Amino acid sequence: METKRAVKTALMLAFILFFTVMMARAIIGSYTLTPQSTAEDLRGLPLWEIPLVYLWDYVQHGWLCLGFAFSVAGVFSEFLPQSFMLRYMSSGRRVSYLVATVLAPVFCVCSCTMVPIFSGLLYAGAGIGPALTFLLVAPANNILADIVTIQVLGWRVAIADMVAAGIAAIAIGYFVSKTPWGREFESRFAGNRGNPGQARAVELVEQPLDERLWSALKFGGYLARQILPAFFVGLVAVSYVQAFFPEELVRAYLTGPLGVVVAALLGGPLYTPTLIEVALGKALVNLGMSPGATVAWLMGQPYDIPNSLSTSRIVGWRIVVTYGVLSFIAAVASGLIYGVLVGTF
Amino acid sequence: MKKLNIEVIGVNPPCPRCKKTEENARKVAAKLRGEGIDVEVNKLDISAKETVSRFGVVMSPAIVVNGVVKVMGKVPDPGIVERILRQEL
Repeated sequence: METKRAVKTALMLAFILFFTVMMARAIIGSYTLTPQSTAEDLRGLPLWEIPLVYLWDYVQHGWLCLGFAFSVAGVFSEFLPQSFMLRYMSSGRRVSYLVATVLAPVFCVCSCTMVPIFSGLLYAGAGIGPALTFLLVAPANNILADIVTIQVLGWRVAIADMVAAGIAAIAIGYFVSKTPWGREFESRFAGNRGNPGQARAVELVEQPLDERLWSALKFGGYLARQILPAFFVGLVAVSYVQAFFPEELVRAYLTGPLGVVVAALLGGPLYTPTLIEVALGKALVNLGMSPGATVAWLMGQPYDIPNSLSTSRIVGWRIVVTYGVLSFIAAVASGLIYGVLVGTF
Repeated sequence: MKKLNIEVIGVNPPCPRCKKTEENARKVAAKLRGEGIDVEVNKLDISAKETVSRFGVVMSPAIVVNGVVKVMGKVPDPGIVERILRQEL
């Protein structure tokens, strides 16, 4: 029994280590993990073959990055002390903004967990500010999306996006908590803060390492099963964009200050899982989208329509509209700032 | 005879992981009932104010045994659920 456990543990550690080492090697050797197909390569092919070639290109280069991303996502969700973080975030103090920003990325979870945590934070009296900060940062900056963004769009754009999204989320959360309707909403739950019974009601059982590793890998696999099918379907669409979307249009509308505004507008309402947004962003970059517009494009994540609808059922439309408008402004501002910083719009 | 009260906290409508967790809990409950132990399984909505005021912010899915959250944010296999429940007996 004990040996079986040890063997299982070793096998699973080896699996995770394999992806980590391969990934490190790829980064050190600057071997690119992103598809190399250009519009010219794709255009000559028959219509049905375009998505196949593009998908194959992604799978060939991207399997390592995706495998690594999903394993890390699983390991993070299993081994980081989430109950501790949740309690900290719901403490209702100023620090909870920072905790929400820095720690939300490791809650790499599907949206079906995001909204419950959000409403939980609200009901627990954490305040609308930190709760909103969490809601805005978590989907944009989760570890899965971050790894893929770094690999596909380059670390400069990825870091700019992460930093800008974090700052914007704190500012927006804080601002909304100061609006009359934000205060009104918050006052409804202020009495719930610091309930001592809650701490006693959570007493997680300890599990042996092999069970935890297995649980981590299982969750990584679950995420992959949830996300990859949509990702591959999205890639089919992206392959046609890459092949046929006129470069002149991209050059005209997705560069310069106007490009930043257009990108922020397009990136938002379009409901796409983050991974597809990154892939589509890559296709547009290949077609000539400017770096500033790319950052604005990525920042458009928080105000897509389905997410806003489910949030508005909890907090009311006024708060949703407020943070939607603010997110748009933040996306444009970040795009412009990044454009100025790197010197090309 | 001891009584076990199990509550599975999940989202409503249920996500696949919450469903699986409830399934596993019910499977183990059926087994323990076969041994003559009184086990009750209920489902709680994670977004309900009542749930939050009892447990604070939790991650779905979570398993509560006799009023204490034992597992959260993961789907434990039936074997693990059974071990946790037996510890409470």
